[in-house]
Amino acid sequence: MRVALFVPCYIDQFYPQVAVASLELLEKLGCEVVVPTDQTCCGQPMANSGFASSTVGCDANFTHNFEGFDYIVGPSGSCVLHLKEHHPSEKIRNSVYEICEFLTDVLRITTLSAKFPHRVGLHQSCHGQRGLHLSSMSERNEKPFSKLQDLLSLVNGVEVVMPAREDECCGFGGTFCVTEEAVSVKMGQDRIKEHDANDVEYITGADTSCLMHMEGILRRQGSKVQVKHIVEILNHA
Amino acid sequence: MLSHSEASENFIADAERTDWHDETLWFVRAKRDKASKVLPEWEAMREHASQIKDHTLANLGEYLQAFESKAIANGIHVHWAADAAEHNAIVHGIIAAQGSKTIVKSKSMLTEECHLNDYLASKGIEVVDTDLGERIVQFRNEAPSHIVLPAIHLKKEDVGETFHQHLGTPKGNKDPQFLTEAARQHLRGHFLASEVAITGVNFAVAETGEFVVCTNEGNADMGAHLAKVHIACTGIEKIIPKRADLAVFLRLLARSATGQLITTYSSHFHKPREGQEMHIVLLDNGRTRQLADPKYKNSLKCIRCAACFNTCPVYRRSGGHSYHQPVAGPIGSILAPNIDKKANADLPFASTLCGSCSNVCPVKINIHEQLWFWRQDLMEAGLAPAGKTIGMKLMAFTLANPVIYRVGGSLLRRFSHLLNTRLNPWYKQREMPVAPKESFQEWYKKR
Amino acid sequence: MSARDQILRKIEPLEPVNHPGDFKGASIDFDFRASLEVVGARIMTKEELEIVFPGRRRYDKTLDGLSLAEVEVLEIDGEFVVAENGAIWLTEEAMPHRVAPFICQHLVINVKKIVPNMHAAYEELKKPNSSFGLFLAGPSKTADIEQSLVIGAHGARSLTVVIHP
Repeated sequence: MRVALFVPCYIDQFYPQVAVASLELLEKLGCEVVVPTDQTCCGQPMANSGFASSTVGCDANFTHNFEGFDYIVGPSGSCVLHLKEHHPSEKIRNSVYEICEFLTDVLRITTLSAKFPHRVGLHQSCHGQRGLHLSSMSERNEKPFSKLQDLLSLVNGVEVVMPAREDECCGFGGTFCVTEEAVSVKMGQDRIKEHDANDVEYITGADTSCLMHMEGILRRQGSKVQVKHIVEILNHA
Repeated sequence: MLSHSEASENFIADAERTDWHDETLWFVRAKRDKASKVLPEWEAMREHASQIKDHTLANLGEYLQAFESKAIANGIHVHWAADAAEHNAIVHGIIAAQGSKTIVKSKSMLTEECHLNDYLASKGIEVVDTDLGERIVQFRNEAPSHIVLPAIHLKKEDVGETFHQHLGTPKGNKDPQFLTEAARQHLRGHFLASEVAITGVNFAVAETGEFVVCTNEGNADMGAHLAKVHIACTGIEKIIPKRADLAVFLRLLARSATGQLITTYSSHFHKPREGQEMHIVLLDNGRTRQLADPKYKNSLKCIRCAACFNTCPVYRRSGGHSYHQPVAGPIGSILAPNIDKKANADLPFASTLCGSCSNVCPVKINIHEQLWFWRQDLMEAGLAPAGKTIGMKLMAFTLANPVIYRVGGSLLRRFSHLLNTRLNPWYKQREMPVAPKESFQEWYKKR
Repeated sequence: MSARDQILRKIEPLEPVNHPGDFKGASIDFDFRASLEVVGARIMTKEELEIVFPGRRRYDKTLDGLSLAEVEVLEIDGEFVVAENGAIWLTEEAMPHRVAPFICQHLVINVKKIVPNMHAAYEELKKPNSSFGLFLAGPSKTADIEQSLVIGAHGARSLTVVIHP
């Protein structure tokens, strides 16, 4: 299967290991992975700040890089949701997948050779969860499920623990993290407190942005808890 | 006036109180979750309620006229007000004709929206708010911080002190039971003496010309049934087509609001009591403008349960007053810009767009999507804070050009340590991510 | 132009949407006793009532609004109780005054009929309307101070329900 890897801008620049893990994992699972080299960004930072009208160039660049693919896969629920909801090209909107949903719904994997013998707290990022429906939502009267937990259950040795409030937002929120700095940090601290209560070694999730925010707080606190994107665990030998 | 982010910073400065506020409201949401999950038809019922509202809004003019003619036939005086000023003048006219100087009022967010109390005070009429939470904040000269739990920002110590000052309760007594009893005695005097009572309206039924008022305390009824004149104030969006529709809304309302099975009192006012004068004021105040905009029309479905407040992680940690509007929280943030874009340009940004609000909404308002639309409209109207427009355009330009993006990215990584400064809001309480030597694309090229 | 005409003129009819019809609630066998307990009501037999409230006042047209304020225990008849939420439908005709169930200190309601849910309740209410009616679920309550539940905010401090089979 031919897959275009969508690497969101901040992952490209600050979390290359997440893109590397995505690439390796997809290849391991038999995909032919193409990385369009002129890709930049999905346009979400502008659009969620009220400047959707300024993303014309960004959207065109994305289309230019990705329109030739039937499967565009990215390791970020938030960026993927933005593309699905707002990208002008219908082809793009219909071809883009968040990597976990791609693994469970398209590749339908049932085994993995990964090993990660650690206690891991799972953060359900809102856009992946409520936007892409990667898992059931605590507000809804619906049957519980979680594509992320299904995938983690294929990893050897990992022990997944959920925070007390299973799907509360971490407070990253794009530019919210700086324009509403006080609330944003408080929300992040509160999430971390719940993971700390579970004595986790790692916090994982499907959105690097949320993890980056929580990592910033963890490091300021001098915490030993580390963050890892879920593909890094799924790809861990 | 402080912006939402400034006011929130002040709120959060008291971490202990913020935690208490967050946990208390989370508990209310948990009760809502439990109550909603008992009913297997919950999600279908939300959809049904949403469709009733869609249908009503599509025929609002007809339903308003149907309601009007039925209500008049029932002996109710029907008034129409285009804006807050007209609304207040109508209410004042009715009170003045009665010659009352003190009146009682139960909870009505609409009268908050119109600043009715201040207006009547300027005419020499004292309004006694009779909902316990509202009476507490009224004594303190504050606005309600939550539309269902008006005094949720206060601790019992605060209430004890307020009652000590205004009702002469013993200093230091902070027992909720005792303080509630003191309010009961104090307000009973007002109920028995007042000749005019104002109430809000939860639902107005076009089919029958009746209106329904829901409370737990019984204060709306105590006021309305003892007064010679009852004035009910409502927005035009509170109309529903049929009496049977009430079943759906009453099942949803209390479960969504507090997790109760139903409010203690759901009173159906059909005709005035013998010898009583009953008025209803129908207010527009921007609602028709909202109705005409397909992006925002759905916000008129709101039944004021405040479930979106309780679930909102931002509201829980910033308090109602940080929204500087009578209706706070996510729903307030999509209602307020319709009234005044400039004054409320910060509110649609007081959200992470997590989407929990839309999930709990009993009438399925797409709140988080409307927040996104408002962000676009407000920026288009030129209401961006200083520097934001230039910053965003620069970012858009960079991200539209791969070459500039690559150069910019590598500069950003090389000099990211320069961002470790107090001027960077990220850095204030968080470390910056450690910049890797290579970007992914640089690594990939060499692979 | 009057405000009425102004408002009605501004309301443009939207794309027609059908009314979804009456909602069919799931058929759940709700326990009315449990619901009454949840909303804070007590259930008593006729015999128990005689022992607990021997001096109660019955429905009496001579009682007006203000004199009801002096009534300690008032007994009235409700039309039916809704099993899903413990709400009892009361109408003006069965009360000495509309304020009666609010202003007395303690309230006793006799009920003969039980309906499963609110949809069934409004089926019952299809007959000609009373001038005033209400669903009453338990005694008056508030949690406005720190979310601590306090019974007896403004209305009756207790509700006793007597079911007549």
